[in-house]
Amino acid sequence: MSSTYKVQVNKLPVVEIATGQSKTLLQALEAAGVVLEYHCRTGFCGACRSTLKSGAVDYLNEPLAYIRPGEILPCVCIAKSDLVIDH
Amino acid sequence: MRYTTFNQTNVNPLGEPMFFGNSVNVARYDQQRHPIFEKLIEKQLSFFWRPEEVDVSRDRVDFQSMTDSEKHIFISNLQYQTLLDSVQGRSPNIAFLPIVSLPELETWIETWSFSETIHSRSYTHILRNIFTDPGSIFDDIVTNEHIRKRATDISKYYDDLIFYVQLLQVHGVGDIEIDGEVHDVSIRNLKRKLYLCMNSVNALEAIRFYVSFACTFAFAEREVMEGSSKIIRLIARDENLHVTSTQHIINLWQHGDDDPEMKEVAEECREEAFNIFVSAVEQEKEWASYLFENGSMIGLNKEILCQYVEYIANLRMQAIGFEPHYKQISNPLPWMNKYLVSDNVQVAPQESEISSYLVGQIDSEVSAGDFGDFDL
Ligand code: FES
Ligand SMILES: [Fe+2]
Ligand SMILES: [Fe+2]
Repeated sequence: MSSTYKVQVNKLPVVEIATGQSKTLLQALEAAGVVLEYHCRTGFCGACRSTLKSGAVDYLNEPLAYIRPGEILPCVCIAKSDLVIDH
Repeated sequence: MRYTTFNQTNVNPLGEPMFFGNSVNVARYDQQRHPIFEKLIEKQLSFFWRPEEVDVSRDRVDFQSMTDSEKHIFISNLQYQTLLDSVQGRSPNIAFLPIVSLPELETWIETWSFSETIHSRSYTHILRNIFTDPGSIFDDIVTNEHIRKRATDISKYYDDLIFYVQLLQVHGVGDIEIDGEVHDVSIRNLKRKLYLCMNSVNALEAIRFYVSFACTFAFAEREVMEGSSKIIRLIARDENLHVTSTQHIINLWQHGDDDPEMKEVAEECREEAFNIFVSAVEQEKEWASYLFENGSMIGLNKEILCQYVEYIANLRMQAIGFEPHYKQISNPLPWMNKYLVSDNVQVAPQESEISSYLVGQIDSEVSAGDFGDFDL
């Protein structure tokens, strides 16, 4: 098991983020220099809504914003694998 | 079709649509068709705050040292916010409660509307502190032509739905003639009116309010009117939740996860709903011209505010299934986000219900301005 996951956002260069639960996907991507839209950062506004092209995520907090199948809220989830997302 | 306050028909709430089913009888939440609304209620209650807890006393001095054009921007913006919350404090109750069919949604509507009344009271709190007698500021809301024009745009979809529901309650389904005008009071037509009204409410809270927030927070970025800004931050957090609720309702309809007829109505009314957003954007831009008619303020002018309108409209329209319509895809006011973040609440969940704690948190966070090299 590796200690990082590879994440690609919007065909930007792939970045590596640490595994584990200390940071949300939004925070992990910001730390890696990828800026996503956000407002509430707690899963209820939907501003960070993204499409998960491949990979899996786990929710730390239950999302309250509406998400369609295949969409994720990076501010309240963590990566469970390498990811490709559209934002 | 008289409304009854306790429907004695034995209905299965799990089989009811959100609206235009049987009216609600037992306020029970042990079984829910759409559990999201109870989660929104819990969230809204955890956000509870009172305007009196926020100290706005420094704003009086700040206001006195502002230029006339800045005073015009601040006061007009506050008048507009007062108008919006006057409408929101009553209309969801009057328009939606007579036709709602699920207990969890009924209670959400009441909780939502109640939070709007807190917003309304907070504008009086702000203005009482700035002026010895704020009476003329409130009086002007119903006489100022720019504000009146907005009031018409905002209330017309509510008023239309309310009128048709009244006709339905008194006369039942049919073509009803009132003062020589024939009204199509069919459930299908009422569902159309409901769909358009919900889109108009969404545009109000998701776009119009955010334009006004940008103006308030632009003052806070200059470290003036920070008491007011603290209050508007609390309001913005509530509004964010309201926006989510109407996005849920619209999406549940569009995806056929509620009333199958509402799915057809959503398709049928797609263009009209789209136009509601486009005209809200146009009206907000007109409003920006009025705000800045006497001059800009540091950090904000008509052009940037109009860009922000387009940017936020794109985001909001995408959330309910439209393609982004405007060219402004990046956020022209990046500092806005820090006023919209609410994850400070999450740091200590056990304290999140104590509003003085929240207000304190917001207090300490809003102080650092980061306008940097902004030019007029
Ligand atoms: S930033 Fe609000 S849901 Fe993610
Ligand atoms: Fe409000
Ligand atoms: Fe609201």
